[in-house]
Amino acid sequence: MNKPVRVLVVDDSALMRKLIPKILEQDASIEVVGTAIDGHFGLKKIDDLSPDVVTLDLEMPGLNGIDTLKEIMRRWRLPVIVVSSHSTAGAAITLKALTLGAFDFVAKPKDVSARMPEIAGELIKKIRAAAQSAGVQTQFLPGEVGGKQPGKLRPVAPTHIIAIGVSTGGPNALQYLFSKLPVEFSGSILVVQHMPDGFTELFAKRLDESCPIRVKEAQSGDLLVAGRALICPGNRHMKAKKLPLGNVVLLGDDTPVNGHRPSVDVLFHSVAEEFGSQAMGLLMTGMGEDGAAGLGEIRAAGGFTVAQSQETCVVFGMPKAAIERGYAMRVADLQELPSILQAQCTPDQGRGGDGTRGDTSEVKRATTSGSN
Amino acid sequence: MTELRQLFFESAGELVQKLNDEAMRLEKSPGHAETARSLRRTVHTLKGDAAACGFRELSELAHEFEDVLALENTAAAASVPEIALRAADVFAALLEAYRTGTKLPSIQSLRADIARLAHPVPGGAGKAKKTKKKAAKITNRWSEYEQLAIARAAATGKPVHHVVVQVDPQCAMPIAGRQMIQFALAGLGEVLALYPVEGSHEPITRIEAALASEKPAEQIRAKCSIPTIALTVRVTPVRIQTLSTTALPLVSGADSARNDEVAPSEGGAADITADITSGIASKEAAATGEPAVAPAMPTGPDNLLRVDAERIDSVLNLVGELILAKSMLQQALLEFGQRFPKDVLRGKFADAMAFQGRVLNDLQHSVMKIRMVPVDQLFRRFPRIVRDVGRHCGKEVELLIRGGQTDLDKSILDAIAEPLTHLVRNAIGHGLETAEERVRAGKRPQGTLRLGAYHQGNQVVIEVSDDGSGIDSEKVRQRALSQRLLNAEQAARLSETETLDLILQPGFSTAEEITELSGRGVGLDVVQSVLGRLKGTIQIETAPGRGTTFRLRLPLTLAIIRALMFRVEQRLYALPLNTVAEIARTVEGDIHQVEHYDVLQLRNDVLPLLRLGSKPPSGPERARRKVFVLVINSGERKFGVIVDGLEGEDELVIKALDDQSITTDLVSGASILGDGRVVLILNMIALMDRFTRGRTDANGPRMDGLLSSVVPAASSIESGNRRARGAAGGLA
Repeated sequence: MNKPVRVLVVDDSALMRKLIPKILEQDASIEVVGTAIDGHFGLKKIDDLSPDVVTLDLEMPGLNGIDTLKEIMRRWRLPVIVVSSHSTAGAAITLKALTLGAFDFVAKPKDVSARMPEIAGELIKKIRAAAQSAGVQTQFLPGEVGGKQPGKLRPVAPTHIIAIGVSTGGPNALQYLFSKLPVEFSGSILVVQHMPDGFTELFAKRLDESCPIRVKEAQSGDLLVAGRALICPGNRHMKAKKLPLGNVVLLGDDTPVNGHRPSVDVLFHSVAEEFGSQAMGLLMTGMGEDGAAGLGEIRAAGGFTVAQSQETCVVFGMPKAAIERGYAMRVADLQELPSILQAQCTPDQGRGGDGTRGDTSEVKRATTSGSN
Repeated sequence: MTELRQLFFESAGELVQKLNDEAMRLEKSPGHAETARSLRRTVHTLKGDAAACGFRELSELAHEFEDVLALENTAAAASVPEIALRAADVFAALLEAYRTGTKLPSIQSLRADIARLAHPVPGGAGKAKKTKKKAAKITNRWSEYEQLAIARAAATGKPVHHVVVQVDPQCAMPIAGRQMIQFALAGLGEVLALYPVEGSHEPITRIEAALASEKPAEQIRAKCSIPTIALTVRVTPVRIQTLSTTALPLVSGADSARNDEVAPSEGGAADITADITSGIASKEAAATGEPAVAPAMPTGPDNLLRVDAERIDSVLNLVGELILAKSMLQQALLEFGQRFPKDVLRGKFADAMAFQGRVLNDLQHSVMKIRMVPVDQLFRRFPRIVRDVGRHCGKEVELLIRGGQTDLDKSILDAIAEPLTHLVRNAIGHGLETAEERVRAGKRPQGTLRLGAYHQGNQVVIEVSDDGSGIDSEKVRQRALSQRLLNAEQAARLSETETLDLILQPGFSTAEEITELSGRGVGLDVVQSVLGRLKGTIQIETAPGRGTTFRLRLPLTLAIIRALMFRVEQRLYALPLNTVAEIARTVEGDIHQVEHYDVLQLRNDVLPLLRLGSKPPSGPERARRKVFVLVINSGERKFGVIVDGLEGEDELVIKALDDQSITTDLVSGASILGDGRVVLILNMIALMDRFTRGRTDANGPRMDGLLSSVVPAASSIESGNRRARGAAGGLA
């Protein structure tokens, strides 16, 4: 890249307007072209300065972040990186921003003097990715998420274990995918979404409210049941494990893998090991290459592997890494994924046996092989 | 990062002030949604900024407060403004402690307040969350898998016990203790669950286990009661929301045969679903409750530049030097003109000088403008102070502020903050009456305090006035007598104004009783001395029953003044030009003696005089000696200063004087003229003070030779000329 990425910082805190440019200063490929104290000024400065990427605080006087974001999406469709606070309300509003088309978010910098490299690394990476991205695909934005009557959890053993790894662009992609899965979906889904601590609980709740299948932030010891997705909490690792009475997820605090915790590779590795051909690995939109190796393991163990297509990825990083290494058995658009997942779990198509009984036996087989 | 810290303290200070403002506004219109939102936003920003800079305590406290404010029902609670104000105080104290690196203040009481704010809300999201958490901790922390295991054990007819061991706080090795308990349990039956889990980082204060065992509860209890580890042991039947029987086919894949053995458990109606779905709904509001705000014009332009005051000072100092250079050039031009009166170059020089002078003048004003800040920066603190003091005194006070946009030099503003606070406290504490007294006097029960600022000529006037009972000058006189500030004879001679000025004397207090807020006997004299330092004046105006006004007159800037220069005993002095009302020419013979001091008949008035130099020896020479009298008019007081000759007026760049070089309070600063001469700038207030004291004290020293003691000091200035030039043009 010859031309630097032009960034506009919109934040009502004087400190942040100083700090964020200071952080970005460390990277020569990024140039902060301006700062704005609130949404009104932000919009005006976008007009004047035509930045490539906007970092946006959501809590601002005057025109607040959400309304500013809506306006940016309506007029420019610029990639916006939300700078989000750590409160519960902050998580809620951040997730809302993502559904409105924000490219990604970073947590507000904490304790900068001690953690500068880490903070800078994340922000710079995301801004670069944002600048290179094709932009947010509005067709997959869920719009206003309506509530639903949560269906009963059907404590039925799943026919398949579907492990999903996803990062930037994930919230909307998962929202899209899960909303298209029926309540009687027979697979059990495990998700590692790169997301900081404090956001995943609400994220899971939101999905749960808006999708037919059940969604839950995983706790150690949660059972893998049909029609439920477990989202790995931020800052923990999640593994699948077979136990005598049923299959569960276990959470752990091991060191980050590939710079990530949760790491997709950790999940994929455990799923490949425990469920083998019973498993399906799906690597979706996101920066970096976390999960690529794990997808290879699932494939090697006899599982089915899919990578999301470049056209429908917000950032074509992780899937690309897997495709390039030949670990993806199939490359599919986001729109195709719901039917692929269903087909995978439906006995007559795909690799399953013959009907429900067959499914059971399949898991049984997997269990047996796992305990060997 | 130090730059960042500095910025943080600056902006955090503003945020705390904003929090104060918003809390007060919310107090006036309780439950006003926009104000409440704005208050929360302020706390939010403070939290984020503090976290970024790693000030954990502040950030966490603000976080707690923000979270509570986010709860729908608390935001409207009546106690929010009060707690917000207290929070502002604690935040400010924390900031101060961080800044100075001192011990952090206690935050426990605020924390309790915040918690209480969250607590009493019935059905509020916060409570629901809390109780749920608590419940989960005690009765239902079993994971889904453990629930399954418990249910299965129960279904197979094995009793499942909930064992709770309270760990002895004296236990030296709780981790080993946990191990011992685990062994004990394992010996009794099947341990289905044990918390805290192995390797967990949470402190082991309590061990909980689900134990499937045929053994009686009493035996389990006894086995677990290991001395020095277990403090108490409780064994109860497991009370879990057992998984419905349908949950059991979960194991179908693994072992479908076992399913058939399972009998429906008793509490079978409840299932995991209930647990999973509960507590979802409440947080929705937080996300969607962000209504579009009416687009208001933003308050501060973004291209505001924050500059260290020191840098501006150094520019101003350089401008001062330039003015000095101008004077030197002018001096040179004058000599040139005298030597070559016909030279055409002279005219050219003069033109260039005039042009340079104009530019310099503009430059000086521009730079001074940079230092100017609206008085509002100071005034905005007062609503809070007035509220607190009013409350403390049990008086209802309405504060009216006007002229907040009046500009004043930043350093002056900073310097008068304390005296002004003092005057305001004093006005509420002593000036205003209680509501009953006011009603009895036929006034409305609420007292009014006015804070105003305006420009007048080259000065800024700041007024603090109340509509209270006014100052009883007779009472002041009595008080002064009883406190032995003066004797009866002196007291009788005092004019009304002079009597009022007594309250500015050190050690004076009229308060009937000494309160915490005001009237500790120290106080108003502080106001007086600060004003003296700033080359300002104070004037008191009172009308019995109608109120009192304190009027502070301050120079626009401290750095440069227009001054009248004069000579006393060959030495050069200056007074701010605006203090001089007129100049009279006279001869020594016309100066008369009345009692112990000199007076001059000026038109129809008798003007008391102050002699700065020593009195010339008597004789016929003396009577013919020409002198000038500067008529000083300060408030209602008028007196003359006898000087030997006038030097002219000029803009003086005030140089700092340190305490070592000047030992008298009569001189407040010095300046250097174009020809290198040093001029001492006199302190008006101190002069007036001497004048008043000299008059009232009939047996005191004569009012002459006041400046004799200054002379040696002045010469030290001259020798330290270079040093003085280098010093910042701040205040003396």
